[in-house]
Amino acid sequence: MKKLLLFYARECPHCRRMLPLVDRLETETGVVLERLEVWHDEANADLMRSYRSVIGPKCGGQLRTPTFLNTETNDLLCGEVDYETLKAWALR
Amino acid sequence: MKRYWRCFVCNDIHVGSRPPEVCPTCRVRNAYVEVTAAEAGIIAQTTTASPPPDMGPEAFRAAIEAFAAPNVFRVSPDEDRVQLLLEGIFANERKRGLKYCPCRLTTKDPAEDVKLVCPCNFLAHDTWLESGACWCGLFVRR
Repeated sequence: MKKLLLFYARECPHCRRMLPLVDRLETETGVVLERLEVWHDEANADLMRSYRSVIGPKCGGQLRTPTFLNTETNDLLCGEVDYETLKAWALR
Repeated sequence: MKRYWRCFVCNDIHVGSRPPEVCPTCRVRNAYVEVTAAEAGIIAQTTTASPPPDMGPEAFRAAIEAFAAPNVFRVSPDEDRVQLLLEGIFANERKRGLKYCPCRLTTKDPAEDVKLVCPCNFLAHDTWLESGACWCGLFVRR
């Protein structure tokens, strides 16, 4: 089953900019992203690390935030994107 | 593998695979001799006349400004961004021991994670090459 994860960090400026777009996406489309803060929650951090082999190749070899991940298809976005790109990812 | 070196003139300690050709403090050429990590630690502590105070956000800000000054990059002019990043960097230092970038998660592999300490080697990263900024945006091209 498709599950959309957002790995973000509390003090990450990219994440701060993307969170309002996520709010808008959820309101407009009804999709729900599971928001997982990774620098202050070790369980979330370990979950992100468990996807390292998926995230790394598409994110400069690193676990960058924010990362948007579809756990069914491993389709992901890394960093700041515009609303339409985010929406297209979420609805794929 | 990094090794420890001591300047036989001024007792500066250098950590690296090779010693500096010229000591940056006393300017003596070929002055470095290899020492153990234990020796290096003791010498570094006992020869520091006025040990630097704990480096808080203000001192770190001054350090990275000085670091950037002679380079092609500068600290971001976006003050809100800088303050948020400093908050994250110091939160990470308190919790994880080092000033890790707040925009990249550690992997638990020490050799990998040391690459995330701010300032990182961002000039080699895709984001610098593509957008002229480090990943978190703390440093931007002038």
